[in-house]
Amino acid sequence: MSKPLLSLQNVEKQFGTFKAVDQVSIDINENEFFALLGASGSGKTTLLRMIAGFEDLTSGALLLDGDDISAVPAHRRPVNLMFQSYALFPHLTVARNIAYGLEMERLPRKEITARVDEILETIQLSHVAARKPDQLSGGQRQRVALARALVKRPRILLLDEPLGALDKKLRGEMQLELKRIQDEFKITFIVVTHDQEEALVMADRIAILKDGKLLQIGSPSEVYEHPNSRFSAEFIGVMNFLPVVRSGDGYQDRNGAAITATDRGVLGHGATLVAAVRPERMLLNPEPHLNQLTGRISALAYHGLDLQVHLETPSSPQPVMVRLTADAAEGLNLSIGDTLAVGWSAKDTRIFDA
Amino acid sequence: MTTIERRPEFLIAPALAWLTVFMVIPCLLILALAFFRRGTYGGVEYTFTLENLALVFDPLYAGIFLKSATIAGTSAMIAAVIGYMAAYAIVSMPKRTQPALLFFAVLPFWSNYLVRTYAWIVLLNREGLITGIARWMGYEGELPRLLYTEGAVVIGLVYNYLPFVILACYAPLSRLNPEISEASRDLGATGWTTFRRVILPMTVTGIATGFVFVFVLSIGNFVTPALLGGGQFQMIGNLVYAQFLTANDWPFGAALSMILIAIMMGLLTIQTFATERASGARHGTD
Repeated sequence: MSKPLLSLQNVEKQFGTFKAVDQVSIDINENEFFALLGASGSGKTTLLRMIAGFEDLTSGALLLDGDDISAVPAHRRPVNLMFQSYALFPHLTVARNIAYGLEMERLPRKEITARVDEILETIQLSHVAARKPDQLSGGQRQRVALARALVKRPRILLLDEPLGALDKKLRGEMQLELKRIQDEFKITFIVVTHDQEEALVMADRIAILKDGKLLQIGSPSEVYEHPNSRFSAEFIGVMNFLPVVRSGDGYQDRNGAAITATDRGVLGHGATLVAAVRPERMLLNPEPHLNQLTGRISALAYHGLDLQVHLETPSSPQPVMVRLTADAAEGLNLSIGDTLAVGWSAKDTRIFDA
Repeated sequence: MTTIERRPEFLIAPALAWLTVFMVIPCLLILALAFFRRGTYGGVEYTFTLENLALVFDPLYAGIFLKSATIAGTSAMIAAVIGYMAAYAIVSMPKRTQPALLFFAVLPFWSNYLVRTYAWIVLLNREGLITGIARWMGYEGELPRLLYTEGAVVIGLVYNYLPFVILACYAPLSRLNPEISEASRDLGATGWTTFRRVILPMTVTGIATGFVFVFVLSIGNFVTPALLGGGQFQMIGNLVYAQFLTANDWPFGAALSMILIAIMMGLLTIQTFATERASGARHGTD
């Protein structure tokens, strides 16, 4: 493994009596698309602002290429931030907005013009170069903000909820667009988001934060398939939780049914436990060796590719979600009130502290 | 549905009628006097003439206009700088304390204009507070005269109209998204460059509005120059006052007023259009 580009070492941030960031250590590699994922108040934005230079570290170190940059002021860090509000300068045209950062570097006018033209072409906004930000659509503003930060060729581009202000369809397109741009410019991206789907789609690695603490760090499939805590499991994707008690070598649900998990899946050892299973791991017509439950269908939601079935069962206080592919559901003629038996394998079972 | 619900714009009628009957018509009647001859023993002789308007451009009176404009301009400039600084400071305070600070800034408005201006006489007087402080601090020499100078008039005008500027500058400053100045720093600008290239251009309309307000209110003011200028020099306001009340030359007073109002309206129009343009650029159409 090569040396990390950016290294956060035991970083802490205290606001009065409130600890916004608590002992966070993360190494981020060159050319990585990294996501800081968490709910509001998780400390993800504070962390981003510390990297940008807008917040001091209460303690810890921030190393860029091995040098501590925690005392370097924001305007001298080779790091640029795309703000959540975009923060475009309303009195300047699109071209002047993008040129601003290059003018600060006192580059020759010819080079500035060339680089602005080039990036306007990349984001396909050459035709609005002379417009003011308020004459642009939301999606265009977002691309201008991105271009304004990218044109400086920073070592790291920070993006604060970059797609938050866009509508759902545009967001999907921009997720892929951001990945394409990151690949093209070969710049490390650190994106802050509360949207787990966004993080899964875009990021090479995800850090899950909660109450200022780092809970888990890993690739999208790692955090999705192997969440290390109930919180991670709940935060990423949809997860069913069945209250269970220990019973011999295995576990037993509220209905008395046996639940088994592989050793790797056992992540909780406390007194109150839950068994977790993803809705898409639930199978119809379960074979006898599988974990099983039976319930009454309380709701059906058709999503095109799949069918979501809500099962009311004595095994769980909340309805259990089952996701069937459209193919599997076809011909079953499921309707509300029907009884359905489902099963799942031990390797798809996680045991967490409740 | 009543007429008012359908056409709420009719609600402007009482205000419009009030202003028309009690302000616009009397003003027009007074201004019309400018085109008539002065009676030999005061009063007005109703024969048409342009002499009164021509007389305004006589070097003597044009000089007073120029002097008034200089004093008003100086006052407006000083008030704009101090007021902008104050507004900037207020905006940088916690959101909760800002209304209280604005309240204190505007507080002097709640007291009588004359009382406030007299207070300055007490301060600037030859035996006044400022002289007293200088003496107390051990200064024995001759002090320059403070009261009855142009400086005193400028001080009085700035003091009186400063709250306007603070309010005018507070509005655009408080609307600034803090991420905008952070974006500037993030892109490599120092604090000063950020101010000069981003914050100032985005809030200059507040300064312009404040400046024009102070200028317009100052150039026609006659109380402050009379009290703090002590009759050492005249501003147009005093001249108009004298024409109507001492010289009994209403037509010339009307002519002076007409030019004064024209200057004010011109400035206010420019200011309105400039502000419109600045905000229009931000809400323009494709």
